[in-house]
Amino acid sequence: MERIEKPLTLNPIKLSQPMGAMLAFLGVKNCMPLMHGAQGCASFSKVFFTRHFCDPIAVQTTAVNDITAVIDGGERSISEAIENITKKVTPDLVGLFTTGMTETKGDDIKGATYLLRDKQKIAYVHTPDFEGSFESGWAAVQQALIKQLVHQSKYSDKSKVALLPNVSMTPYEVECVKNALAQLGLECFALPDLSTSLDGHLGLKQGALSSDGISTQEIEKLGECGLVLTVGASVKSGGELLRKKCTKMQHLHFDSLSGLEASDLFYKQLLDYTGHKKPPRSVIHWRKRLQDAMLDTHFVLGSTKLALSLEPDQSYALAGALQEAGGNIETIVLGQKGEYDFDALSKNVRIGDFEDIEALLPKADAFIGNYHGHRLCKNAGKVHILRGFPNYEEVGNQLKSDILYEGSARLLFEVANSVKLAAH
Amino acid sequence: MVNKKLIHELLHENNCSHSDKKKSSCDKPKPGATSGGCAFEGAQIALFPYADAVHLVHAPATCIGASWETRETPTSFKGFNNTKTGYCTQVVANDIIFGGTQKLEDAIAYLLEHKDPQAVFVYETCVTAMIGDDMDNVCARMQKRSGVPVVPVHAPGFVGSKNLGSRLAGETVLEYLIGTKEPEQIHPYGINLIGEYNVTGDMWQYTPLLEEIGIKVVSTLAGDGRIENIRQAHRAKLNVIVCAKSLESLTRKMQERYGIPYISISFYGMRDTTNAIMSIVNAFGDEKLIAKAKEVTAREEKLLQKRLQPYRKVLQGKKAILNTGGNKSWSIASALQDIGMEVVATSIRKATLEDIEIAKQYVPVLMKVPANEQAKLIDEHGVDILLAGGRSLYTAIKKKIAFVDVNQEKEISYGAYEGLVNLAKDVCDAVNNKVFQTVGKDAPWSE
Repeated sequence: MERIEKPLTLNPIKLSQPMGAMLAFLGVKNCMPLMHGAQGCASFSKVFFTRHFCDPIAVQTTAVNDITAVIDGGERSISEAIENITKKVTPDLVGLFTTGMTETKGDDIKGATYLLRDKQKIAYVHTPDFEGSFESGWAAVQQALIKQLVHQSKYSDKSKVALLPNVSMTPYEVECVKNALAQLGLECFALPDLSTSLDGHLGLKQGALSSDGISTQEIEKLGECGLVLTVGASVKSGGELLRKKCTKMQHLHFDSLSGLEASDLFYKQLLDYTGHKKPPRSVIHWRKRLQDAMLDTHFVLGSTKLALSLEPDQSYALAGALQEAGGNIETIVLGQKGEYDFDALSKNVRIGDFEDIEALLPKADAFIGNYHGHRLCKNAGKVHILRGFPNYEEVGNQLKSDILYEGSARLLFEVANSVKLAAH
Repeated sequence: MVNKKLIHELLHENNCSHSDKKKSSCDKPKPGATSGGCAFEGAQIALFPYADAVHLVHAPATCIGASWETRETPTSFKGFNNTKTGYCTQVVANDIIFGGTQKLEDAIAYLLEHKDPQAVFVYETCVTAMIGDDMDNVCARMQKRSGVPVVPVHAPGFVGSKNLGSRLAGETVLEYLIGTKEPEQIHPYGINLIGEYNVTGDMWQYTPLLEEIGIKVVSTLAGDGRIENIRQAHRAKLNVIVCAKSLESLTRKMQERYGIPYISISFYGMRDTTNAIMSIVNAFGDEKLIAKAKEVTAREEKLLQKRLQPYRKVLQGKKAILNTGGNKSWSIASALQDIGMEVVATSIRKATLEDIEIAKQYVPVLMKVPANEQAKLIDEHGVDILLAGGRSLYTAIKKKIAFVDVNQEKEISYGAYEGLVNLAKDVCDAVNNKVFQTVGKDAPWSE
């Protein structure tokens, strides 16, 4: 296919770094994400996540205006914001993160945070939207929380595990990992933990602060964990950083938890760690179900060409799981580079936008990607399986899972069924 | 360049009834206590409905990356729908250091060559305003070269609120587009619809009626709009502002420059729709036109009453509380009353002084802090339904009364006569919905 190189982005796939940061802070208990920029950045992002999760979203803005942009080095609007926030609510943590504008100014957020240290606990992070991506913004918050909050620890508790999920893992997927670890006798602390905050539960939530998540006390003690798990290349270095807080900590990294091989690797490594010979019976049984699912779906998947466009971590995970069961990955279009060998998964991998996807769709039978693919698929008569951010078409996004034996089996069924139903 | 003088003027619009007293949406936003969009979003709302123009956002990832394809402003334009398209120069670190002008020029040249637009709007944003890219120069050059209007929109987010951004967009259209083309014919009853964005097709609920009466919609800003039409807007005979105070400066200036008078109306609910149509024909003062309008509105009202009948049976006398912002604080109240409901209270927390004045005429209780007041009012008055934003859902569940999320992105129109049937159906569905009785029940293990 000929692609016209163009000097602009048309219908962007890429989501911004501050948005990844904001989502990460929403997985910290009683946190107020505070976006340092003009009010629109926070407003756009708030609407984006509110529609995706169907739940109120907490965020505030330092509301930098054309005057403070010139005369203020950041500390004034930040301290004013903290003052106004604490008039109404009492956050355990304020998650301060920057935007393109305040980074262009070169604001000293570390200094501003230092000046306010007696008034409010603040974690700060640099996330300009003229570099990085959704994944890197999320990972930057993990690293900032580790550097700024986690205490150095001399001893480690082997039964405690720190989990660093990547930005594309749904609240329920985080819970699935936590449950899998609990079955092996391990207590898991996810950093951040969306499984209790944005999982869509009915509560007395007014959206003034993040409703639940990992507490700051728990974050401070993460150095005591015997093991840190990282899932997805974008969060790998966070694991190394956490290990610096305690030399006895082990680090296990997984690029993916989707599909048979990835799930096998997960259980092998964890059984080695705990010393168990076998996982619990339900896990053993779910593995057999996945094997059966692979066989039940391989015929349909084997004759299906798939186009994929998700964040690099999720693209890699889903493409791998589907390929394992015979799926042909016709093309992968990414918003930004990932740290994977995508060429092994598909011959046609590129950095692009939705105009590129539109041009590639005729060659595929189904598309896996966000809401923006919906109109394209409808026009081109292709099957659309919704994953990634944003998903405004469906409800229950927070409870999807494509990981470990069970989630992988359900993923294969969903893709195969969608293709079959559309064919008849 | 951001025009400080213009911004000052827009914030102190003489014809705004609030200009002597400050109101929230015109103030500088307060750090840590602000919700709502920025000036860029306001400009986007005002201009994006022009589906035949390219909307190029000169910005890094967030501005358009989070907001493209989110506006439910349908168009009848048969060509490529640019409203649903996100065009972005995708400014990166390198451009911050070396400037993004060349990138912008290349992008505009590409769009002019490949997309055949009727105009190109180029939106300045915070970052590109700060690095000082000379957009005016680039746009002027590209316009000269191509003959297509290339219009710089200077409403970067940090200059202020959404409302201000819409005003700046209106001024831009006035400076660069209106009056740049002469029509072949001048219609005696031609109007411009200003501030009507055709959200969910609101506008299409009443424009066929206007046409039937003999009114011609010359141009719109910007619902289902065309660049060609807005360029000829100076030859319309009347400006009609629809539910949007923000564009009053524009219409005042059009009156000064082109002698076009203006009126301000709303198309929500039966009474307001009839009033709106009558206001337009009365402004022209033509007897025949007025007679025709009376005939059409009477016919539509009768038809509507018939169609509302089944819903009235359910909703007659039901009590409602309304908790929403802006002109919705009274326009929806008026519409609910038209269906036969009693509106006990409405929120004025996010309303302008003007909106409060109007709301007073419709609703007995005005809530200043609805979060504290609405629960009590529900008990006192035996309210049946709460119409509010998502945050109030829990109040409704606790009180076991029906709930309609009025702030949610709606997919169907509540505008004009036909829209009232849609509203009645939605409210009726909510009142009949069992979920509000069951979902809040105590768990078997609760104490």
